[in-house]
Amino acid sequence: MSSILLRLEKIRKTFPGVIANDDVNLEIRTGEIHALLGENGAGKTSLMNCVYGIYRPDYGKIYWKGKEVHIHQSRDAIGLGIGMVHQHFMLVPPLTVTENVILGLPSAREPFLNLAEAEAKIRASAKRFHLDVDPKAKIWDLPVGVQQRVEILKALYRQAELLILDEPTAVLTPGEVAELFKVLKSLTEFGLSIIFISHKLDEVMALSDRITILRNGRVVDTVTKENTSPNELARKMVGREVFLKFQKPEQQPGDVILSVENISALDNRRLPAVKNISFSIRRGEILAVAGVDGNGQTELAEVLAGMRPSINGKLRIHGVDATNQSPHKILKMNVSYIPPDRQHVGLLMDFSVRENIIGKSFWEKPYTRGGVLQKRPIQQYVDHCISKYDIRTTSPNLKARLLSGGNQQKVVLARELSRKPDLIIASQATRGLDISATEYVNQQMLAARQDGAAILLISSDLEEIFSLADRIAVMYKGEIMGILPVQNADLHLLGEMMAGVRRLKSIGEPEIIGEDTGKV
Amino acid sequence: MKTAESLQQTWRLFLSRSSNLLIPILAILGAFLISGLLIIAWGSNPLEAYTALWSGAFGSLASIATTLTRLTPLIFTGLAVTYGYRSGFFNIGAEGQLYLGAYSVVWIGVTFSDWPGWLIILMGILAAGLSGAFAALLPGLLKAGRGINEVLTTLLINYLIIQFFEWGLRVDHVSKELDQKWTIINWIGLKDAAQPYPKSALIPESSWLPSLSSVLNSEFFTTLFGDAGWFQNLVSSPALTRITLAPVLGLVAILVVYFILFRTTVGFRARAVGVNPEAARYMGIDINRTIVSSALISGALAGLAGAMEILGSQHRIIPNFLLNAGFEGIPVAMIGQLNPLGVGVSALFFGALRAGANRMQIISGVPTHLVFVIQALAILFAVAGTTIHLTKKKLRPRIENHRHENTQVSPEDKVTDA
Repeated sequence: MSSILLRLEKIRKTFPGVIANDDVNLEIRTGEIHALLGENGAGKTSLMNCVYGIYRPDYGKIYWKGKEVHIHQSRDAIGLGIGMVHQHFMLVPPLTVTENVILGLPSAREPFLNLAEAEAKIRASAKRFHLDVDPKAKIWDLPVGVQQRVEILKALYRQAELLILDEPTAVLTPGEVAELFKVLKSLTEFGLSIIFISHKLDEVMALSDRITILRNGRVVDTVTKENTSPNELARKMVGREVFLKFQKPEQQPGDVILSVENISALDNRRLPAVKNISFSIRRGEILAVAGVDGNGQTELAEVLAGMRPSINGKLRIHGVDATNQSPHKILKMNVSYIPPDRQHVGLLMDFSVRENIIGKSFWEKPYTRGGVLQKRPIQQYVDHCISKYDIRTTSPNLKARLLSGGNQQKVVLARELSRKPDLIIASQATRGLDISATEYVNQQMLAARQDGAAILLISSDLEEIFSLADRIAVMYKGEIMGILPVQNADLHLLGEMMAGVRRLKSIGEPEIIGEDTGKV
Repeated sequence: MKTAESLQQTWRLFLSRSSNLLIPILAILGAFLISGLLIIAWGSNPLEAYTALWSGAFGSLASIATTLTRLTPLIFTGLAVTYGYRSGFFNIGAEGQLYLGAYSVVWIGVTFSDWPGWLIILMGILAAGLSGAFAALLPGLLKAGRGINEVLTTLLINYLIIQFFEWGLRVDHVSKELDQKWTIINWIGLKDAAQPYPKSALIPESSWLPSLSSVLNSEFFTTLFGDAGWFQNLVSSPALTRITLAPVLGLVAILVVYFILFRTTVGFRARAVGVNPEAARYMGIDINRTIVSSALISGALAGLAGAMEILGSQHRIIPNFLLNAGFEGIPVAMIGQLNPLGVGVSALFFGALRAGANRMQIISGVPTHLVFVIQALAILFAVAGTTIHLTKKKLRPRIENHRHENTQVSPEDKVTDA
């Protein structure tokens, strides 16, 4: 049994109104790769920021090699031998690799730099750890994967014994991911410990020795890789024991509003993200898309909203071809889209609440006449929305930025739902919201279903999906693993589908495509 | 808890509303204060110097006329930069657009000199606006279609236009009085063929913008005040001819731009794209079309600056006829906090400094260059003011990001953000 390098005891970290971490206990052994697994917002990064001295925990103790330590700033962490590679690299692009590595360190020949010696040392450790980097290259000439290696070298140069990698694969291509994993595994042979933050099950299974699952800031479980399976992990990541129940009246779905045939699309790295997806949604029906984040759900929603081109396939709304139309054309077909990223897409944060609410209808009569915005009709409409959607703001002139997250989402809802849409695409509409705001959003979704809207609900929260959906589609690596009515779904089955080990041939006929370890 | 939050919200609202005019005024006052120390170090009395500066800018009809003449083009170029910046099109090309605008006004004036004055004014203003817009068209198209940085393209096009301008001043313009063989080139060039110097002919006097002198000499006022002594004194002042309709049109332009930006769909789209193109696209706004239209409006405003200078004050073009007024639109817009009303205040500040500088040097011995120091300090303070404003804005989302721990952006999206 190897020794314990780092031990966290009862760590608690809160931000105004939000508990990021609570009662977290964690042990990292020397020479292990330890994965921190959890959905976005589960508290993985904030926990590691506590370790690295970016945040200070409100409560709890940190032990390093058995001794209690107080880490007030990153420098303390680096001094102990902790290195962190952030999701966004902390490199200076016009400088060389060597210059970046020694940045901030005292030189042996103050006040002069000792570039030659540093370069030699970098070359040596690059060779030793199989980190293929040219010390003289400028950062901006390097591909992302190599830049990441520079970040790792930087930590090693500072004699790190523990390396924290925050979602290191998010920016890499599959080839680079394989390369990175090889490097990380070889690092552990030199006695280094690695904490690997991820929400991707297959990567966690491929790389780590032990896995700690976080949910809502708390540790769900710590397991060894040999004793777990992807579907168990998936369930632990998203499942919740307590279900909030909503009144969901029975109703017969009407005619088909949205039909999607063989849609495919690329992500921002130009890799296939959505692969040959087909489904349809009827009036008064909620089709929920379940899946671990980053399996193409966001891209699918963007294709439907006209924000992302589809590379093949057909998209019909009301039977009319809407493939690769502009967002404007699609919204004029009475489609609403609630994007997952409220701060960068859903809202103009520097615009007022009023301007955001009117943002998708300002060009229509009666809000505009001859290109001039009509104050009074706009004001009436906005006042109506503010009271109907219970937006807590002192004035409609307040900038959206100054509202709380829940109220910001209510502004988005007001704009999207008050138009009485026929089709609603809701992507992670409750993400980052507290319980009451979440409940409010979900009630609005059910109300819209009652009004006869067809709803595509993308969520990584299974509880939400179970309580809202009429049918559930599970996405894995850009494909739909199956669509089934909510009555036929259970956590075990969904977990397997989300982990990619089970695919439905048709409703109710599971086909096993991978080896199920059978652990429940 | 609730009341505390609403009080906070109200305070923030008040700040964001009033800072539009408050920051420029505070920045200007701060600049005078610090410059006062400099004047003391120089060995002069700052009060004396500022009094002289004030009287040089506003002390007499003549000085007011100079101030107004100086500030008018700055209003238009300041508005051009403001509109562009607000819509995410950072227009550094106001200088060239202004020169091209002036060129076309003079071209209309000397080519159609037999037209009635009002028609020349009208067509001249139209031509100046169109040619300014034309100068901004290519950068607009390149940014919209290819994502090419407009700072570079607008800046470089300045030199193209100014070279064209200089060339045009050296090519004879077609003249009916002279019996020569005119070619197509002579229809483009603007040099007064009757003179050896690189300057154009004057545009007909009938097309000069009406001045206060012509208004007061009208039948209405002369019969109203007849030969009252003070009236005779006033009317005889030569400065009156230099106080024209141009600054009034500048004031109108401020209100029009304010209206376009905040009360029309065109302005709504422009500001939305300026704030966040991705969110604007999501809301159904055609980003490319908006960028081009914003470029055109911004360019047209700068072109109008040239028209005002020609129609209101110089009436002809000469080399360097209005050097740097285009580039100065940038600091004017910055001190004005990118708000049309603020641009009015800061253009007045710039105009007054230029007009009063000489008198300050003569009376108090402080060199005219001090006005550039004051100007620079005001820019510094205004920019500092903006950043205070901005950090206030930025602080909050940073906290919020922590709150949700990057829940808003999936890692894939972050790649494009970076």
